[in-house]
Amino acid sequence: MEARRKGQIQIKVILVFVAQKLLRLGLLLMAVAVFTFVLLSFSPIDPVQAYIGADMMQISADQQAIIAERWGLDQPLWSRFLDWLGQLLQGNMGTSLVFNQPVSVVIANRFQASLQMLAIAWFLSGFLGLTLGIVSGALAGSWVDRLVRLYAYTLASAPTFWVALLLLIAFAVSWKIAPICCAAPPGVLSQNVTFWQHLHHLLLPAITLSIIGIANIALHTRQKLIEVMQSDYVLFALAQGESLWNIVRYHGFRNILLPAITLQFASLSELFGGSVLVEQVFAYPGLGQATVQAALRSDIPLLVGIVFFSALFVYTGNTLADLAYPVIDPRIRLRGQAHS
Amino acid sequence: MQRLKREGLIKGLSILLASCAIASCAPTSTETTADNNTDQNSGGQSGSAEQIVLAIGGESEEGYDPTLGWGRYGASLFQSTLLKRDENLDIVNDLATDYTVSEDGKTWTVTIRSDAVFSDGEPLTAADVAYTFNRAAASGGLTDVTQLDQATAVDDTTVDLILKQPQSTFVNRLITLGIVPEHAHGENYARNPIGSGPYKMVQWDEGQQLIVEANPNYYGEVPSIQRLVFLFVEEDSAFAAAKAGQVQVAAVPQSLAVQTIEGMTLRDVTSVDNRGLMFPYLPANSKQTPDGDPIGNDVTADLAIRQAVNYAIDRQALVDGILEGYGSPAYGPVTGLAWEEPEANIEDAQPEKAKEILAEAGWADGDGDGIVEKDGLDAEFTILYKADDSIRQALALATAEMLKPVGIQANVEGKSWDDIEPLMHSNVVVFGWGSHDQTEMYNLYYSQSAQGDYNNAGYYAAPAIDSTLDLAMGAPSEAEAVAYWKAAQWDGEQGVTTKGDAAWAWLVNLDHTYFIDQCLDVGQSQVEPHGHGWPITTNIADWRWTCD
Repeated sequence: MEARRKGQIQIKVILVFVAQKLLRLGLLLMAVAVFTFVLLSFSPIDPVQAYIGADMMQISADQQAIIAERWGLDQPLWSRFLDWLGQLLQGNMGTSLVFNQPVSVVIANRFQASLQMLAIAWFLSGFLGLTLGIVSGALAGSWVDRLVRLYAYTLASAPTFWVALLLLIAFAVSWKIAPICCAAPPGVLSQNVTFWQHLHHLLLPAITLSIIGIANIALHTRQKLIEVMQSDYVLFALAQGESLWNIVRYHGFRNILLPAITLQFASLSELFGGSVLVEQVFAYPGLGQATVQAALRSDIPLLVGIVFFSALFVYTGNTLADLAYPVIDPRIRLRGQAHS
Repeated sequence: MQRLKREGLIKGLSILLASCAIASCAPTSTETTADNNTDQNSGGQSGSAEQIVLAIGGESEEGYDPTLGWGRYGASLFQSTLLKRDENLDIVNDLATDYTVSEDGKTWTVTIRSDAVFSDGEPLTAADVAYTFNRAAASGGLTDVTQLDQATAVDDTTVDLILKQPQSTFVNRLITLGIVPEHAHGENYARNPIGSGPYKMVQWDEGQQLIVEANPNYYGEVPSIQRLVFLFVEEDSAFAAAKAGQVQVAAVPQSLAVQTIEGMTLRDVTSVDNRGLMFPYLPANSKQTPDGDPIGNDVTADLAIRQAVNYAIDRQALVDGILEGYGSPAYGPVTGLAWEEPEANIEDAQPEKAKEILAEAGWADGDGDGIVEKDGLDAEFTILYKADDSIRQALALATAEMLKPVGIQANVEGKSWDDIEPLMHSNVVVFGWGSHDQTEMYNLYYSQSAQGDYNNAGYYAAPAIDSTLDLAMGAPSEAEAVAYWKAAQWDGEQGVTTKGDAAWAWLVNLDHTYFIDQCLDVGQSQVEPHGHGWPITTNIADWRWTCD
């Protein structure tokens, strides 16, 4: 009886949690859509003129009107927004002006390319960031710590595209061990691209992207670990003759895990933003590159689609972090039960 | 303490080692693929008659559908056109065997060859031609077929194109519009083009590369190069890839053309890719654009100022100094094309003559500040240029320097197009155009074209020129229109060029520069239009690999 009641309450808690999350997500996406539409309406870029470009002189006013009509640009903004919303409710995100393809197809294709890069970068930055943070936090004040801090501060203050350019110049142009562009070697059919070739083209952009995340995570982890190391229970453990490594392992690691996970998932948004610049520099045809093109040509359907997608992506990341807390930290789990 | 340090070091080293292993692994794996498949040999290594790699830009993001504008420069690769221009820009038949224009200039009757088939094996008939033109007229792409009323297939090999108004430049649609198959022209056509052209698509990695292969069904001579790989990279990367021996044709900016690459020769192709100064023609505040932007400039509204600028500029010095010699002086909008009027050219670099013109018109330096004035108005204007275009910037700065000794003060300002647009009807702007389609010249100078956008941005208006341009546009054929196009430039009494109204000060035509593998014979190139890169592919089906 007691167990069943408990189970029912738990299901209720979960349902409320899910409903709340979904409601917030819906509101967030709505706000994002409205903002994107309004902001783009202030953009000085006329999509028709951006499309025509240097052919301006050969395209008559009549033809320009046909182009505007093809994209529905002859309608006022609010009516385009309502049209778009109506289509969205039916699961249609519209057609991209730049790629002349359904927005969902463009995003799916492009994200496939970006996903591998983002995943590698995410794991690398998380793993290396945490490692470096722990090492420098445990050895605070030593030369290792200074080195890590120097590295972290330098990279935290260096713009992404600049780091990307430096790496490109060093690895691809000077040492010729990385490719200059693209996601595959030129002239090779997609079915003939080997795993190693694939990785070869992926690795440098991914490493570049991870470098940005490392600094942030390392510095935060270091700070947190130093706090832990100065606590009374660590002093007590030291007094008991516990080795530094064991203290870090049993006291430090668990205490810094929560902030590290929060940071790691929060860094998804930074990674996503960073990928726009990195893909541009490495001519890597992912979602970031499509974002740049959509913005430069005032491709509202595609840009809203990408913004939607990235909002969903980041939101999911943050929700995963929320869900991970009770799994990792029994205190949160127990507190939740105590309340109910 | 010590143990932890060591562990950290080991960890760091192992990561370093792992990444090195991956990096050095890749080149070896390329070689192994090469062994498996000789075709893959050129996975970026070297060219052959089997495959060449080109880095000349020109990706069409919305796909390869001619009814949306694909093929308006260079080769349409997958499709073929009714007519084409040869290396002298003369019009010759391609799919068409003959064409006639009715007396009223409204009906174009084209007969086509009967042996053309699409790459899917279906024959190409007049119905496909009619479909292509009707579709292009309605599809809202980058090909302007708005003058077409209707296209109808008379029989299998004859098609009637009926225009709303006579339009001599309509021939350019017959030259650029690739014929698409009516039976296979669906939603996915742009990404899976089917046509009767010399090549067919193998694979398109969007944003990266396009791989095409010779079309065995092509009615013309089978191209001698089996496979083409177009790499879509920026000019700097193209140069780097050429240097690494990975591409056989690379389009590079003039600034990189002075370098040398082993095994490659520099080819500079004359173009009508021009740069010039557009003058506001009307006095200030004469009227406003539909968007409410000001029109007119009191200084440049004076013919003497416009002519003096034209005479004072040393165009050859601009070519040598800014374009590294890869360019030529431009005196009109179509310098170098078959419809250029050579009589319109002037002897430039004459500051003395410029001063005379100014003095005659009453401009004099009364207050001794080095700037001439007339009725209290200083001869001063602003030259706007697109800020991130280094060539335009250099042209604007150099021109301003050349005008100083004459007593004209030109202030130079770089802005983005969005910022230039509201100002471009009341300030001098560095523009660049250049096309094989005379419609451009019409829109540059026709008074009614001035509607507050890029067409005739200076609001130039001369009734005599308007009627000459109308005659040119209404002529039944290009051959007959050419006389009028020439007359509009300069007919001995009036014209849009320096000796006449000097509506612009044209400066230079850029040469398009390419590094081309010494083993590759690309034949004779046309005078290329605006748009560096893709135009060189115009005769790509005739390219040959001359080494073994």
